[in-house]
Amino acid sequence: MGEASVHTAISPAKADFDGIRAGLYALIARLLSGPLDNEFIAHLGQLEGDSSALGQALSELATQAKSKPSDNFSDEYAPLFYGQGQGGEILPFASYYLTGQLYDAPLAAIRDDMLKLGIQPTGSIKEPEDHIAFLLDMMHGLITGRFAAGAVDVPDQQDFYVRHIEPWAREVFSDLKKAESAEFYVVVADLGLAFMEIESEAFKLAA
Amino acid sequence: MEQKQKPDTPVKQGRREFLTLAGVAAAGTGLLAGTGSATAAEEQPAGKGQGYQETTHVRTYYELAKF
Repeated sequence: MGEASVHTAISPAKADFDGIRAGLYALIARLLSGPLDNEFIAHLGQLEGDSSALGQALSELATQAKSKPSDNFSDEYAPLFYGQGQGGEILPFASYYLTGQLYDAPLAAIRDDMLKLGIQPTGSIKEPEDHIAFLLDMMHGLITGRFAAGAVDVPDQQDFYVRHIEPWAREVFSDLKKAESAEFYVVVADLGLAFMEIESEAFKLAA
Repeated sequence: MEQKQKPDTPVKQGRREFLTLAGVAAAGTGLLAGTGSATAAEEQPAGKGQGYQETTHVRTYYELAKF
């Protein structure tokens, strides 16, 4: 147990909040984008958190990553997100949540913005771009400057977040939390809910 | 026990303070370490100034990942 804390604590005054926010977006995106591989599960085992809702979710992810056999994670992902051809228990697409139909107007709106921002899918995931993992990963890229447009400032991050993520993200995380097959992914949902709440609040302060 | 608030630049300060209180900083180094392999979905197209920023960020994450 004790050997985990070789990490240097980051003092709030010096914390690179944008780097950490980007890290959280990437982390949650990866958790939702596909079954976890062993390397990523090992990374999860290193997460640490404090007593906040966000911190607790991070510690719990680490605890489960260290204690469960790695097969468990993919066994749980499949029924949740793949199902048997017809989609899983969760359909994490903006279109589905906002209009009730897959491949609907929200997807078109996202593709429009992707074009403007110089973002295109790598093809590594065969899902439409309004999948929650895509959108969270795009936030990571907008913050870090991974895309052609470079790093965008907070108001532009907020604009993307408010239009494409905020209207439905909490709902999909709430559904994931309640999903029949969810166990590890209940914690993922907790992390998502805590982080979305923080982002929504923080963007208001920035404005 | 608490005393006065520091009256610094109001807007930025509010955001940072909020993010601190919300525990965002507590995510810490372990989290950043995870980011290197976390990147999931999509990347920039092979545009003109391709890659420079991407490369430096990736490198940063890998360096952090060594902690």
